[in-house]
Amino acid sequence: MIQENLVINYQRKPLPEKLFKLGLLLLVVGFVGVVLAYITNSARASFNLLVVFTWIASIGVGSMFFIGIEYLTGAVWSVPFRRVAEITASFVLVLPILAIPILSSIHSLYHWSHTEAVQVDQILKNKSAYLNQTFFIVRLFITLLLWFLFYYLFTSISRKQDKSFDQSLTKKNTIVSAVFMPVFAVTLTFFAIDWLMSLEPHWYSTIFGVYYFAGSFLAALGVFTFVSISLNENGFLVDGLGSEHYYSMGALIFAFTNFWAYIAFSQFMLIWYANLPEETFWFINRGVGSWLYFSIGIIFVKFIVPYILLLPQPAKMDPLRLKIAALWVLFAHYYDLFWVVMPTYSKGGVPFGWMELVFPVFTVGLLIVLFYIFAKNVNLVPIGDPKLKRGLEFHL
Amino acid sequence: MSSNIDYSIEPEVVEGQPKLNQINEAIAKPLETRPSWKYLVALGISSTMLLIGAVCLGFSFYYGIGLWGNNQPVGWAIPIVNFVFWVGIGHAGTLISAILFLFRQRWRTGISRFAEAMTIFAVITAGLFPLIHTGRPWLAGYLFPLPNQHRLWVNFTSPLIWDVFAVSTYLTVSFVFWYIGLIPDLAMLRDRTKSKIKKTIYSIFSLGWRHSNRHWHHYEMIYLILAGFATPLVLSVHTIVSFDFAVSILPGWHTTIFPPYFVAGAVFSGFAMVQNVLIVVRKIFNLEHIITLDTLEKMNKVMLATGMMVGYAYGMEFFIAWYSGNPLESFVFLNRAFGNYAWAYWIMVSCNVIFTQLFWFKKIRRNIVAMFIIGVLVNVGMWFERFVIVVTTLSRDFLPSSWDYYKPTLVDIGILLGSFGLFFTLVILFIRSLPVVSISEVKAVVKGSQPVHH
Amino acid sequence: MDNQMNTSENLYGVGALFKDPNKIVKVVEKLVELGYKHWDVHSSYPLHGIPKRMRLKWSPLGYVALILGLTGTLTGLFLTWWTMSVDYPLTIGGKPWFSFPAFVPVLFELTVLLASVGTAIVMLFIIFKFPNNQHPLHDTEYINKVSVDHFGVFIEAKDELFELEKVKSLFNDFGADEIIEIAYDRNEVTFKPKVFDVKFISFLVVIAIITSSVAYLFNNKILYLPPFDFMLKQFRLGPQESSTFFADGFGMRKPPAGTVARNQEFYPFKNKPDEAGMKLVNPLLATQENLELGRNKFNTFCSPCHGWRGEGDSRLNGQFPNPPSLHSEKVRNWTDGRIYHVIMEGQNVMPSYASQLTEKERWAVILYIRSLQRALNAKQEDIQ
Repeated sequence: MIQENLVINYQRKPLPEKLFKLGLLLLVVGFVGVVLAYITNSARASFNLLVVFTWIASIGVGSMFFIGIEYLTGAVWSVPFRRVAEITASFVLVLPILAIPILSSIHSLYHWSHTEAVQVDQILKNKSAYLNQTFFIVRLFITLLLWFLFYYLFTSISRKQDKSFDQSLTKKNTIVSAVFMPVFAVTLTFFAIDWLMSLEPHWYSTIFGVYYFAGSFLAALGVFTFVSISLNENGFLVDGLGSEHYYSMGALIFAFTNFWAYIAFSQFMLIWYANLPEETFWFINRGVGSWLYFSIGIIFVKFIVPYILLLPQPAKMDPLRLKIAALWVLFAHYYDLFWVVMPTYSKGGVPFGWMELVFPVFTVGLLIVLFYIFAKNVNLVPIGDPKLKRGLEFHL
Repeated sequence: MSSNIDYSIEPEVVEGQPKLNQINEAIAKPLETRPSWKYLVALGISSTMLLIGAVCLGFSFYYGIGLWGNNQPVGWAIPIVNFVFWVGIGHAGTLISAILFLFRQRWRTGISRFAEAMTIFAVITAGLFPLIHTGRPWLAGYLFPLPNQHRLWVNFTSPLIWDVFAVSTYLTVSFVFWYIGLIPDLAMLRDRTKSKIKKTIYSIFSLGWRHSNRHWHHYEMIYLILAGFATPLVLSVHTIVSFDFAVSILPGWHTTIFPPYFVAGAVFSGFAMVQNVLIVVRKIFNLEHIITLDTLEKMNKVMLATGMMVGYAYGMEFFIAWYSGNPLESFVFLNRAFGNYAWAYWIMVSCNVIFTQLFWFKKIRRNIVAMFIIGVLVNVGMWFERFVIVVTTLSRDFLPSSWDYYKPTLVDIGILLGSFGLFFTLVILFIRSLPVVSISEVKAVVKGSQPVHH
Repeated sequence: MDNQMNTSENLYGVGALFKDPNKIVKVVEKLVELGYKHWDVHSSYPLHGIPKRMRLKWSPLGYVALILGLTGTLTGLFLTWWTMSVDYPLTIGGKPWFSFPAFVPVLFELTVLLASVGTAIVMLFIIFKFPNNQHPLHDTEYINKVSVDHFGVFIEAKDELFELEKVKSLFNDFGADEIIEIAYDRNEVTFKPKVFDVKFISFLVVIAIITSSVAYLFNNKILYLPPFDFMLKQFRLGPQESSTFFADGFGMRKPPAGTVARNQEFYPFKNKPDEAGMKLVNPLLATQENLELGRNKFNTFCSPCHGWRGEGDSRLNGQFPNPPSLHSEKVRNWTDGRIYHVIMEGQNVMPSYASQLTEKERWAVILYIRSLQRALNAKQEDIQ
C-alpha cells in the first residue's frame, strides 16, 4: 500500500519546553485574574468569559471548517500544514469546561432566562418555546457533541494515515467533510443565535449566523497562518515550504476580510436603511457614548487595517507581514465579539479595566497550553497524506 | 472507476493528453465548417422565440402595459422576476472565470470562456427587463446622472439607481474581461485562416497580439487584476439586486440574509444553465475531452453546495420570521407555504432543495441525462424563487382590502419566452463565431505543456 | 507571405523555433547571461516562470489599477455628495442629505468600473501601443508556428550584441528545430504609437459625431413621434382650450353659484379706498426677511411699470403709459392700507394684482415701497 515515492523526510521535533512554560505562566496569572474578576463583579466577568468562549469556539470550529474545505476542494498547498489546523480544532474540547461558569451565571447574561420577565413580555413569551434554559442546554449539548464527533473523525482518520499511508482514508475524510459542511452551517448558526444574538432577545437578524461564520473563519485562518509560519520558520515542519504557500494563506485572510466587511455592511445597511425600531436599537445601543467610537473603530480594526496590510501582492508572501496580519485578525475578532457582547452589559459606554485584560491573558495562556498538549504526541506534518508531496511541490 | 482515485497525482484537466495543434483544431473546427442542419434548426427555434418576444414587446409599448397581468398591489411582476433571474444566470460565468481563477481551480479552463460569454448574454437579457418594466424604455436616459433640463439629478439613495450602476458596470467589466481573454485566441485564428476577409477581421480584433512573453507578463497581471475586481463585483451585483427588495420594509423582503442568499442562488441557477448548455455543446462539437465529465461533476458539486446554501436561507428566513415574534413576518411566510401561491412555493423548494440532494450520489453526478434534468429543474425552481419573493409578498400587502391574485397574461409569457429566445440566439451565434473554449488557457494546462524548472 | 530579403538593413531579427518548452528555459538563461537586451520569447500561452527568468520588471499595472480605483472612489464620492447634498438636496426616507451608507454601492461600482476598464485601456494603449498593430512578425512562418505548437525565441537585429552568424549558431547549439530570419519594409512598419495618427483620431471623431447626432435626433425628434408621444396627447383640456362638451363652449369652468373655494379671500373694502386706508393696518414688521420678500415681489410684479426704484420709469418702452412716481407727496402720505387697496383693486390703467400676490406678499411689497421712499427722501437723522 505504501508508495515509496510518497514518503518524505520528516523528523519529529518536540516543541520547546519554554513555550509550555510561557503558556502555563499566562494561564495561571490569567486564571488568578479571572477568579478575582468573578469575586469582584461576577456579571461583568461572565460577559467577558462569554467573549472568550465564543472566540475559542470560533477558532476551534473554524479550523475544522478549514480542514473540511481542504478535503472537499482537493487543495494541496495546505496539506503540509493541515496538522496545525487539526491541533487548533482541538480547542473545541475545552468549551464544555468554559460553558459551566457561563451557564451558572446565565441569569446575569441572558434576559430571557428570567421566567418572571418573560411572563410580562409578549414577544419573549412567543419565543419561550425556543429561548428557555432547558432547550438552551440541550442545544449546547447537541452542538458540542457533533463538533466533538467530527473532531474525532477528522483527526483520528488523518492520524491513522500517518502510519498506514492508506489513500482510502483521504476519501473517507472527504466524505466526512461533505457531511460536516451542512452540520457545521446549522450548528454554528444556532450557536451564534443562542450565545450572541439572544443577548438582546428582542433583536433578530437573519444574516447573523453568516456574520459569526465570517469572523470565525477569519480567526481560525489567523491562528493557522501564525502557527504554521512560526513552526515552519523554526524548522518543525518539512523542507520546501515557502512564500508560495504563504501566499495562499495571505490571500485567504485578505479574501475573508473582504467577505466579513461585505456581510457586516449588508447587515448594517439594511437595518439602517429600513429604519425599523425593532431592529435599529441594536445598532443604536452601539452608538451611545464611547461605544460610538468603538463601533467606528471596528471598521478600521477589522477591515481597513488588514486590507491595507495585505493588499500588495508581495505582502501576501512576506512571512513577517503575514504573521502581523494573522495576529491582527485574531485580535480583530476578539474586538468584534467584544462589540457584539459587551453593550448588553454596559449600555452607556465601553467597559474597560483590568478585568478586560485578564481574560485575554487567560485565554492566550490556555490556548498555548492546549496547543502544546495536543501537539505533543503527533507528527506536525501529515506524513501519510498522498497529497503531501504535491503540496510540497506546489507552485502558484 | 473512481472509487480509487490516486490523490498523489494531479488530476488532468484535459483528457487524453491531446497535442497542442490538436487543441487548435478541435476548438477552431466549429468556426471553419459549414453549419449542420441541426444548428440551423436550433437557431430557427431560438430566433422564433425571440421574434415572439419582440412582437409582444411591440404590443406592450404601443398599447401600453395594460396588456400585462400587473395589478394593484402586484406592481412588480414578471419583468422584475425575469430581471433577477437573468442577472443570476450571469453570475456563474464570473464565478467560473474570476473566483475559480483566484482559487486556482484549473478545471475551470475548459468552461470559462463559454461561461463568461453566457454572463454577457444573460446580463444583456437581464438589463432589458427593468427598462421593459418601466413601460417607457425610451426615457431610460434619465436613469443616468446626466445634466438635464430639469436640473434634477438621479436619486443616489435609491437601490434602483444602484442597480443601474451595478448592472452597467457588470456588463462593461465582464465584456472587458472576456475580450482580454479572447485576444490570444483571435490572434491564433488570424494566423490560421486562409480567407482574406476573415484575416482582416481577426487582425483588427486581435489588436496586433503576437504571443510575446513580454506581453504575456502584463497580460497575466491584468487578468489577475480583472479577476480580483470581478470577484467583489459579482458579489455586489446580486447584493444590490437583493437590496431592491431588502431595503424596503415589506415583510418577506426586508431581511438581512438577502445579500448572500441572492448571491448563492444566482450562482446556483447560473451553474445549472452553464451545465445544461455545455452538455449540448460538448456533444455536438466533439469537445468531450476538453469539457470533461469530471468538470461537469465538479459543477454538480458546486450546485449541490449552493443549493444547500439556498436551502439554509429558506430555513433561516422561516425560523427568524417565527423567532422575531412579528406577526406580519410570520404571516408572510406561512402565506408563502400554505397560502394562495403555495404551488409556486413548493415548486421552488422541491426543485432547489430536494431534487439537488440527488447530487450526493456519484452515479447521478456523473450521469449526463440525470444531471441535465436536474439542471433544468434547478432553473425552473430558481425562476419560481424570484416569483415567490416578488409576487407573494406584494399580493398580500399591509392592507387586506387591496389583496389580489396576480396572473401573468399571454403577453407576459411571450416576453419571458422572448428572453430565452434572445439569450439562446446569442449563445448559438457565439458558438459558431468565436472559440467556445479558451485555447491558450487549455493549452497551458495540458500535460507537458509547461517547462520544468529546476 | 514570404518577404524575406537578405539585405541587412531591413533585417528585423532572427527567430528560433523549438518544440520542447524545456529548451526555452535553457536558451533564456543563456541569453540573459550573455546580456542581450532586445529579444523575446514567443508562445501561444503563458509559460510558467519564463518572465521571471527573462528578468522582466514587475508589471506596473497593479499600481495603475490602484490609482484608477481610488480615482473612481473619489469621483463617486464627489458625484453623490455634490448632487445629493449640494446642488439639489432632497430628503429621502428621512435620511440625511449626505447618507454615506446609501452611497457605498455607487462608490464601489465606480471604483471597479474605472479601475478595470482604465487598466485595460492603459495596457492596450501604453504597453501594447494600440492602435498600432503592425509588426514585422505578423504573417511570418515564425509566428504562424508559434501560434500552433512551437515555442520561439527571437533576437532583434538592433541589439548591440547581434551578429547574424553568432546568433544562428547559438540557436543551433540549443537544438532549435528551425531558424528563421525575418525582414521588414521600413516604409510599411513603424514601431511608434499611433494614438495621434490622423486616421485613428478621425475614426474617434466620426464615432463621436454619430453618437451625438443619434442622441440629438432621439431626444429631440423621435421622442415626439408616435407612439412615444402619448404623454403629450392626453384626453384632458389645457388652459384656455375650448370644449365641445359644455354648451357654452368654454373649457375652463366657473365655480358653481353659491360655493366658496378653499382659502378664498373676502375684501370688505371694495370701492371704498378711504375706508380701506383708515382701517387696514400692515401686520408685518420691517424685518430683513419681510423686506427681502417684498423686494423680490416688487421687482417681479411692480418694477416693470413702476421702475426698479418706483420712480415711474417703466421698462415697457411706451407700450403702456408710465405710472406716476411712488415718491410723490401723495403716495408718501398714504397709509399702508391705502396702498394695499390699490394693489387689490388697481387704479386708472393699473389692473388688480390680487391674484398675483398673496396677502402676506402684498404687505411685504408695501414695506419695501416704504423703504424705497425713505431711501430716496432721506432725512437728516437717517444719514447718521
